[in-house]
Amino acid sequence: MNRERFIRDRRNDWREFETLVSRMKNSRQAKWGSRDVATLSRLYRSICYDLSLVQSREWGARLEQYLNDLVAQGHNCLYRSPPQSVRAVWDFFAVGFPRLLRRRYKPFLLALALFLVPLIASVWVGYTRPDLAELIAGRETIEQALKSYENELYVEGDSRYSSERTRMFGHYINNNTSIAFQAFAMGVLVGIGTCYVLISNGIIIGILKGAILAKGNPTADNFFSFIISHGSFELTAIVIAGAGGLVLAQGILIPGQRTRGDSLKFHGVEALQLALGAGGMLFVAAMLEGYFSPLPIASSIKYVVGSMLWLLVAVYLTMSGRERITHEG
Amino acid sequence: MNENHNRKVDTRVVVETPEGVDFQFVIAGPGTRAWAWLIDNLLKLGILAGVGILLSAVGVFADSSGNFVTGIMSIIGFVMNWFYGSLFESWMNGQTPGKKSAGLRVVRTNGTPIDVTSAIGRNFLRTADMLPFCYTVGLISMLMTRRMQRLGDLVFDTMVIDERREWISRTGGLTANIEPLLRSECPRRFSVPERTLAVIERLFESDRIISDARREEIARPLSEALRKRLGYQDPAPDPRNPHTYFRTQGFRHTQFILRVLKTFADDPSGSKGNSKNPQASANRTAMKKERSERDSSYEENRQLAGLSSGEPGSES
Repeated sequence: MNRERFIRDRRNDWREFETLVSRMKNSRQAKWGSRDVATLSRLYRSICYDLSLVQSREWGARLEQYLNDLVAQGHNCLYRSPPQSVRAVWDFFAVGFPRLLRRRYKPFLLALALFLVPLIASVWVGYTRPDLAELIAGRETIEQALKSYENELYVEGDSRYSSERTRMFGHYINNNTSIAFQAFAMGVLVGIGTCYVLISNGIIIGILKGAILAKGNPTADNFFSFIISHGSFELTAIVIAGAGGLVLAQGILIPGQRTRGDSLKFHGVEALQLALGAGGMLFVAAMLEGYFSPLPIASSIKYVVGSMLWLLVAVYLTMSGRERITHEG
Repeated sequence: MNENHNRKVDTRVVVETPEGVDFQFVIAGPGTRAWAWLIDNLLKLGILAGVGILLSAVGVFADSSGNFVTGIMSIIGFVMNWFYGSLFESWMNGQTPGKKSAGLRVVRTNGTPIDVTSAIGRNFLRTADMLPFCYTVGLISMLMTRRMQRLGDLVFDTMVIDERREWISRTGGLTANIEPLLRSECPRRFSVPERTLAVIERLFESDRIISDARREEIARPLSEALRKRLGYQDPAPDPRNPHTYFRTQGFRHTQFILRVLKTFADDPSGSKGNSKNPQASANRTAMKKERSERDSSYEENRQLAGLSSGEPGSES
């Protein structure tokens, strides 16, 4: 077969492929007709063959480039990422995420320690040594926190309530979730940033708690009844996102039998899933913090509901997605 | 030519498709990516400003404090900040508006389209790549990896490719100052088979380390055969400045096959050249130059493959 005959024979297929691809590449694969799919895949394979033929016989760079472009278009048209369904999101939160966390309990425990140890230490510092607390957290921060919890937030639901809650909801989403995602992303720099986020947040929260405890009621009551409900989701999620960052760091530092690059890719996906799970939890936390925690109701109700929520988080993370064991006979 | 392009210092990456065809991708450099990033950020700002104005226009009636608008705006800002890239990259098959305008696309390193997880992940890791300022970490990482990947790309196994395939005029810069052959110089045939042109091209491929003298040696048999085919005779020395003649004699075969390349490879219609007078040929050269300056690689390739309008079977 010489070049001219080859072109003459194959030209119609190339033309047909061009029109077919230009029509199909902008529509979703689910909407393609079955005849079109059959034709497209047949033509694509034959054009791949044409390209390798032209490559091996060196029938000119232009012809090769043209066919290469055709193959590229077909490749982009045919090989797409699978469509994501809402169902997959539900499955992730119901099964995949808690399972993953249980499998990765070691980085979770480490992140928990990195968060909790500074927190407990600084609660003690904030409670017993106000001078040192002011040095660490800054006088203004502490005074502001004390002042804002002196009175109950809302004595009764007034007209301000709803609009201001939405503002705070947006603020919590933006602020807290960004911190969590940063804690994850910084993991790629061997985890230093992750440790920093966990420890510094632990210290600040701890100092404030300590200072408020030292102040006594009603400030302490206002404060703890406010934070107990959303704290369940919020604090846990920050630690989980930190665990995600530590998983990334583990990918670099402890590659095991893989090469460092492969190990990063392997751990990276799971680390991201932890961070995304944490993002979902923080969304719930922001809802609670925005709309439930500041409700003008008796603090005892908040303590009860808040404890239930902590229990819920614990049960969700430890039990959800487990295979049911059926006892027979 | 495939294995030659797989060298270390190159912006091309060869990927084998499941169909067993080697497939070249051109990796996008930091400059193009910075441009796309700039456009994306301008667009983000525009969207934020637009939504802000719209919401506050509506919000003025609903709620005087503006709290509601502020809340919605922080949520939108959050989504823009963390999910702008991944939303577009998963919807538009690896492209954000900025990438689209710069002709870039994100794909997995095996050439398949990006999936949602990788899109989210690579955009999350921007936070680390941006450190300490102006994407320094990302830039260092790009310079150190063959596929020019920043950390986000490395972890999630993606790369950014440049799809704006500018047609490196098939002769490259080789024939820039070379005169094309005139029809009047070639009394016999005025055509050269494509395979011969491919051979000439390979002789001048930039990664072939051949000294000029050796290339002249290799070019000689080819040149002589071509001269016979075309009936070309070297012009006699110009009596007024003979030094040019003697200066070019040393590499006359290289020069000649370059002229052949210039004449027949640059212009797909050159092989059919019917023009008798040099004036028409000069016109054609001018046209050709104009065309090669346009970015119309795909169109030209179509023409070569005989696919464009006009007479389809003319080559046979």
